[in-house]
Amino acid sequence: MIESILFYIFAGILLAAAIGVITARNPVHSALLLVLAFFNSAVLWMLLEAEFLALVLILVYVGAVMVLFLFVVMMLDINVAGMRRGFARYLPLALIVVAAIIVQLALVFTSDQFGAQMLADLERYPADYNNTAELGRLLYTVYVYPFEIAAVILLVAIIAAISLTLRRREGTRHQNVGRQVQARAKDRVRLVDLPRRQGEGDK
Amino acid sequence: MITLAHFLVLGGILFVLSVAGIFINRRNVILLLMCIELMLLAVNMNFVAFSRFMENMDGQVFVFFILTVAAAEAAIGLAILVTLFRNRNSINVDDLDVMKG
Amino acid sequence: MQEQNTTFTMPDFLPALPEMFLLGAACVVLLADLFFPGRNRGLTWLLSLVALAGTAVCVLALEVGEHGVMTFSNTFVLDQLAILMKLAVLAASATVLVYSRHYLAARDLHRGEFYTLTLFSTLGMLVIISAPHLLTLYLGLELMSLCLYALVALNRDSAVGAEAAMKYFVLGAIASGLLLYGMSIIYGVTGSLQLDEIAAFIGAQEERHLGLVLALTFVVAGLAFKLGAVPFHMWLPDVYHGAPTPVTLLIGSAPKIAGFALVFRLLVEGMEHLYVDWRDIFILMSVLSLVAGSVVAIAQTNIKRMLAYSTIGHIGFLLMGFIAGTSEGYSAALFYALVYVLMALGAFGMILLLSRKDFEADNLDDLRGLNARSPWFALVMLLVMFSMAGVPPTIGFHAKLAVLSAVVNAGFLWLAVLGVIAAIVSAFYYLRVVKLMYFDEPQDNAPLSGGIDMRVLLSSNGIAVLVLGLMPGALLTATIAAIP
Repeated sequence: MIESILFYIFAGILLAAAIGVITARNPVHSALLLVLAFFNSAVLWMLLEAEFLALVLILVYVGAVMVLFLFVVMMLDINVAGMRRGFARYLPLALIVVAAIIVQLALVFTSDQFGAQMLADLERYPADYNNTAELGRLLYTVYVYPFEIAAVILLVAIIAAISLTLRRREGTRHQNVGRQVQARAKDRVRLVDLPRRQGEGDK
Repeated sequence: MITLAHFLVLGGILFVLSVAGIFINRRNVILLLMCIELMLLAVNMNFVAFSRFMENMDGQVFVFFILTVAAAEAAIGLAILVTLFRNRNSINVDDLDVMKG
Repeated sequence: MQEQNTTFTMPDFLPALPEMFLLGAACVVLLADLFFPGRNRGLTWLLSLVALAGTAVCVLALEVGEHGVMTFSNTFVLDQLAILMKLAVLAASATVLVYSRHYLAARDLHRGEFYTLTLFSTLGMLVIISAPHLLTLYLGLELMSLCLYALVALNRDSAVGAEAAMKYFVLGAIASGLLLYGMSIIYGVTGSLQLDEIAAFIGAQEERHLGLVLALTFVVAGLAFKLGAVPFHMWLPDVYHGAPTPVTLLIGSAPKIAGFALVFRLLVEGMEHLYVDWRDIFILMSVLSLVAGSVVAIAQTNIKRMLAYSTIGHIGFLLMGFIAGTSEGYSAALFYALVYVLMALGAFGMILLLSRKDFEADNLDDLRGLNARSPWFALVMLLVMFSMAGVPPTIGFHAKLAVLSAVVNAGFLWLAVLGVIAAIVSAFYYLRVVKLMYFDEPQDNAPLSGGIDMRVLLSSNGIAVLVLGLMPGALLTATIAAIP
């Protein structure tokens, strides 16, 4: 019972936030509402006992990806007013496509083929069940090959993002760490033996 | 009592909302990117729910990888967006009409 | 659940040797490029070619039986089909590198990233080709696509390039989303991510599961986006036009083979029992693609856009092989994909040969009077255009013949007739190129660019179109042997 109440509360907030994301006038509001949507999804995944993914969703998505979005939105000076003009024009088309997908989904989800599977109640895992350990065991054994590919994808993202945005501007001053480390005392300070002139010290 | 149906319907509504968002925000690239994130969230919701109700961890592993790829995708997408903005001072899709044919 | 299965045997790494070699080599190129001096990227170029050649040697060194081998807990498969497609992808990528060097060097685009991203995207294609599992299929697809998105924006100071990259990225990401939503429902219904288990589950069912039909529509829509079939083709002309020509060459060649692998693994190996359902969507897409590819291309003045619409038309032909739904049809589609890549390399390579510093040569008018400037390369372009139009005795004729006879044998005579009409209409714009080259006066007489390596390879590319057309037996046998 308590689970149902929790589900409806968080699912309700999630959907409201999702509607907000697609209709907000200001991209910053959209980004923040998307953060809210992710938090609520994380709670729902907790209800499903997918604890690791719930936490990763918050740490990776909210902590990294959405922060990146916010940075970009605020860094680029976007003309918000001009963006809204197309809203009404595409609304009918959007409604048609959306209605078509809803009818399709409703037909399938209400068909009796899913029947028993759909209405079974959730059975709790025993208290000593460890979602993270289970996921980790699979990742490093059965799914080791996809795991490596994912690593390559992250490497590609690094290369691509840097090559697209890094610019060396002329005239900026930056450190050359290699030269700094290689510098020795004798490069900086030169000790000179000055010949002492006769009679100078006598004064 | 919460059942698989609850989560599938939730995922379905999220997916539909994201598609609607793509249509009504066609002119604003940054909102398009956010709608794509929403779409991936709907997919993830489906996978987690199926995985939990079938007691089969493969779905959760898939979600793990979708999250990884989506992070990489967001990084590249935003990098392209920044390049675009530098070149034209606008991310309005209607301004993007140099190419015609 | 607590009783954890700890019996894990080390997977057999050997079948994945080409992927591992290419990954290592790409990382070496990435690092070594930092230490190569100055603006000359010749060493990076050479190292990348060595990487691709080494990978091809690894592929050739592997032996597979009739049924192929699975490893890494069934997330990797190596069969005859995979070996053939991998060799083709590697050859196409290497050709792209050879054709691109002078174009990049003449502009300020000769950066190491072009080579590393091309190598990583080739790695993504190899992963797709060897994927018997939804997860590896998805990851390979993303690895390939993410590299291509970034490559389209390679020229950071070009507004057109950034715009094309943005369109490509947004539509590609939406396509991935659709594909994933379909995959999630497939997983929910069948309880597995492995394509052979999915096929077994569907085959065991007495009546069609509605959930699978729903999943199928999403999956097919996602695939159509990636392939560029009408009505999901909007990105293709803009991306071909906006990307730097070497990147257009890359997108237009090797990924088509990976696209074939994607469709074949997902729909044929995974969901062949739902053939009737996806066939109908494919028929619609094929007809629309044939019409768009042959009619809209006529109006184009930019040769890259013209070739983009021509690609859409060729995708329409390729889909016919799948519509036939027989081993004959799949072999024909594979044959068509390989032949198309050969022709696309020739056509885009010619644009690269004609362009020089501050001159793009991407308008049809730039081909005027090529015969007067260089009779040999005019002949090469003539062969490529004849092949694209499907004129015998070039290889393009055999490719069209193979798919058309496959659909006729499967009982779709009307579709074959439509295909012939589309081929005749599209012959108009291919022959217009020939007319421009041979019967018009040249607009400028600048010497052609390109080093000896490119000239030799482009010449052999043109000769291959003719020689393979005269002797198509070996390639046809290879494609038939590859499809079980």
